[in-house]
Amino acid sequence: MDQLLGLLLYFFSLLTVGGIYALLALGLNVQWGFAGLFNVGIAGFAAVGAYTYAILTTDTSPFHYGGLGIPLVFGGVAAMLLSGVIAGIIGVICIRLRADYLAIATIGIAEIIKLFLKNQTDLTNGPRGINKIPRAWEHLSEERFYTSAPMTWITDAAGWEAFFASLPRWWWQPMFTITVLLFVFGVYLLLERARLAPWGRMMTAIRENEHAAQAAGKDVTRRRIEAFILGAVIMGMAGAFFAQHLRLIDPTNTFDAAKLTFLIWVMLIAGGSGNNRGAILGAFLIWTIWSGSELVINSSVEIIANYQDLFDVGVLRTRAGYLRMLLIGILLQFILQRYPSGILPESRPAAIGKQ
Amino acid sequence: MWTSFGFEFVNFYLIPGLVLGCIYALGAIGITLTFGILRFANFAHGEVMMTGAYLTWTISTLAGSLLGWALHPLIAAIPAVLAAIGILILIDRYFYKPFRDAPTIMVVMASFGMMLVVRSTVQFIWGPNQLTFVKGIDRPNEAVRQFTADFDMMLLVPNKHFWIMAGTIIIMLGFTYLLERTRIGKAMRAVSDSPDLASVTGIDVEAVVRATWIVGGFCAVAAGVFLAMDIQFLETTMGFRMLLPMFAAAILGGIGRPFGAVFGGLIIGLAEELSAYPWIGDAPLISPGYKTGVAFSIMIIMLIVRPSGLFKGRTF
Amino acid sequence: MRKIIISSIAALAMSTAAFAEVKVGNPMALTGPIPDLVAPMAKAVDLAAKNVNDQGGLFAGGEKYTVVRADSGCDPVAAVDAVTKLINISLVSAIIGPVCSGATIAQAESVSIPAGVVTLSVSASSPAITSMEKNTDLVFRAAASDAYQGIALAELTLGKGIKEIAVSYANDDYNAALAAVFAESFASMGGKVTANEAHEPSKASYRSEVATLGAGSDSLALFAYYGSGGITVMRNALETSAFKNFIGADGMLSDEVIKQLGAENLTNVTFTTSASDSGTAAYGAWKALADAAGVPASDPFVPNSYDATFMMALAIEKAGSGDRDKIAGALRSIANAPGEIILPGEFAKAKKILAGGGDIHYMGAAGPQDFDKNGDVAGSFSKSVVKDGAWSAELIK
Repeated sequence: MDQLLGLLLYFFSLLTVGGIYALLALGLNVQWGFAGLFNVGIAGFAAVGAYTYAILTTDTSPFHYGGLGIPLVFGGVAAMLLSGVIAGIIGVICIRLRADYLAIATIGIAEIIKLFLKNQTDLTNGPRGINKIPRAWEHLSEERFYTSAPMTWITDAAGWEAFFASLPRWWWQPMFTITVLLFVFGVYLLLERARLAPWGRMMTAIRENEHAAQAAGKDVTRRRIEAFILGAVIMGMAGAFFAQHLRLIDPTNTFDAAKLTFLIWVMLIAGGSGNNRGAILGAFLIWTIWSGSELVINSSVEIIANYQDLFDVGVLRTRAGYLRMLLIGILLQFILQRYPSGILPESRPAAIGKQ
Repeated sequence: MWTSFGFEFVNFYLIPGLVLGCIYALGAIGITLTFGILRFANFAHGEVMMTGAYLTWTISTLAGSLLGWALHPLIAAIPAVLAAIGILILIDRYFYKPFRDAPTIMVVMASFGMMLVVRSTVQFIWGPNQLTFVKGIDRPNEAVRQFTADFDMMLLVPNKHFWIMAGTIIIMLGFTYLLERTRIGKAMRAVSDSPDLASVTGIDVEAVVRATWIVGGFCAVAAGVFLAMDIQFLETTMGFRMLLPMFAAAILGGIGRPFGAVFGGLIIGLAEELSAYPWIGDAPLISPGYKTGVAFSIMIIMLIVRPSGLFKGRTF
Repeated sequence: MRKIIISSIAALAMSTAAFAEVKVGNPMALTGPIPDLVAPMAKAVDLAAKNVNDQGGLFAGGEKYTVVRADSGCDPVAAVDAVTKLINISLVSAIIGPVCSGATIAQAESVSIPAGVVTLSVSASSPAITSMEKNTDLVFRAAASDAYQGIALAELTLGKGIKEIAVSYANDDYNAALAAVFAESFASMGGKVTANEAHEPSKASYRSEVATLGAGSDSLALFAYYGSGGITVMRNALETSAFKNFIGADGMLSDEVIKQLGAENLTNVTFTTSASDSGTAAYGAWKALADAAGVPASDPFVPNSYDATFMMALAIEKAGSGDRDKIAGALRSIANAPGEIILPGEFAKAKKILAGGGDIHYMGAAGPQDFDKNGDVAGSFSKSVVKDGAWSAELIK
């Protein structure tokens, strides 16, 4: 029974994190898949979103600025807005840089954002990070929420305490997971609309042949900046969910470019860039592999340990984590060479009209 | 002016900045060549540096334990260079070559993946712990100190820094000869300037690609070994940490301009070290917490103001 | 793909459920920024589990005390994922904590507290952990909060006659917190902090920083991990003769420092750590165990790791089962007075007393492990200096 419940909860957690990564991958899909903007600063935008949300919604703390008591929803909206504004500024300056140059510029900007978060200790608590970030649904069982409006309209503090005590410990987990998934679905619908609308077709045209698009009188720079901002807004939203899921964020380890940014690129390329469904599929698939591979590798090490005693498996145990990185790297090479356009390749909107 | 400046500026800021600059410069050569000739940002370049240093360590340790030889790191580096070049050519053959005609992003992703593969392989084989490269403290060279002190400009330079600077100059001279005088060097410059024109004139592009990996790999391993000589230990992330400053150096000098990359490397190295000089008051000008940001800021400003770099490199 | 993974997970879960054992989860930062620091800590955890199992295992039936290791990478993302798997898939009874403070807080707030599972951290020292819990009693730690060690270090520094000092700290969760406490208490005790600068971990050169800081003072308080820049800062400071005296804390206390820099260069170096000296019986017992097993006894947080694992076994023994709800109370009972003193490694003795209904009081390798109401330990601190080419510890508080 415990095992089944455990599996179910792990499955929910896979869906939650997968969903957050799906949002990030969708954001990247707007930038790369639609507009061909090579953004390697995903960690930076996610960090902006996560920190905005955390600072606005977290309770008073002696360690950092905060205690504003802003409702969670507005914290999330602010996270999206700020991420979008920063993307706008970067976009105006950097958007004319092409491919690799934009990649290097965005990687540098993301590092500078992280350095800022790390050194502005009064605001962000520096490298120690912000903790006690309220998680949607679970936050309702925090005292500062159930003792204030609107929750007090329904029943008083004692009533709420009794209610939460009657629920199983993990009651919030499915609720939070479903919330994340609903947002993924909402963003997906929105992006599908955008992709099939004239805006999306124009983006494809610009990506495929910039000069032709320009000659046809399209404002290429403006469209590009729009895509950059839209992608960053989605990444900011994902950052806010990321902060809720982790409940502690710090600038260095949480938003490690090599892990976060890279993993999302792998997800998009594996799923199929340009295809929103592909981005979502890639996110869930790669995250499941990433998370599950630890179980698989650790259990294989144990099996090796049980069936032979030729050499000490201690070294294998401590280095298994690197084996995991190695496998992900090789998997990426395999996908790139075998499925260069991903599991679900891009389908052009024009083809739908012809059917 | 110079008396109030004191020689501490030269000893503790300028020379360390130049040493760091030399390492960046050697690393940036490979990056700028790959960028110019193969047209992609090679994210795995830092790992080549690191692998070269690890191979050097292994060779000198093996020579010490099996044969009882105490090899200078620069000698142990020779077989390491050959091994690293071999690895690079194999990587190119199996992981980069399939994408020669594909969009750039594919090969950049492939190099990103190789970065992970190479690093985690090294971590798996050698373990994540630091390895001692040279034990102890390398104090400033006494002869130089006494000699220069007689002229009231006491230089405090440890021997390892002489090795690094001399090594960089020798490699640069050889490299200049290669690019300016040899057939393959001229072909490399031609491909970097205009690949279409170069292939029309009958240059063997694959040979140029091979030469690029050989030269880039040689410089990268040299940079890795110099870095290991300077910090005197090895760790698996040492290459990745140098990668972004080296990109900055390549961009600063102009993509496809090897001499620009050298110049850019020196500038970035100096800028990083000089940013902590107490130009105003007693405190470092820029908090050392922002030190990494110095190179990035220079790089971004350069990209915005003059993307072709100081030496008018290629822009795509 | 998912099918394969889930079925293999299920197969794993069933294969391990076959024999009687109590599992504890052990997320450690095996990858990430400080793997060199963590490797000996993981060895200490394994050693404690081995000691328990060699002395008859848990309960009357001699059940196996199994440590399930996972990789928390010093990273909240990895830690939350790892602990989710430990709690839900491996069904561990308790968590013997992640290494870094950030990862510890993240996994506790995100996973283990909501699931009602006890976390006993081996090395998280952030002051934020003290005030973390509300209405629950699930997070403990076997390492003292920086709030204590920073003060002890400031007293030690003034006691050595150093009145002016420059502070340089690596900008990471552990060292930044410790440096802040140290600088504050040093100044309030009448010392003068000439400069207090962060440095980026793991850079190739710190010569300009040490030169600038060295202009104001010839003593340096260095807060860094030896494995991510600490050794380079010391090396650069020694090369340029910028500083004469060095003081620092746990993160720098490793045999690796002597191995790389050479004992002859470390004559004016004092590092503190939360451990006792060879004068106490507990440390003596630990040193003997560690030396026999080839574990570096005085490396940072290695004794704490042993203590945490050993205490968890005692707590489970006391609780009588691997029931998650009973562990917090049992942990307090075995670690705090009253009771018969138990030294590191004395599992059989403890088991006998517990079986007879007696009380035990564990004396840790890293000093007494009496938990206060927040689950913190006050810790005892020792200072280490280099003597005859090795670290030699002496109790200070």
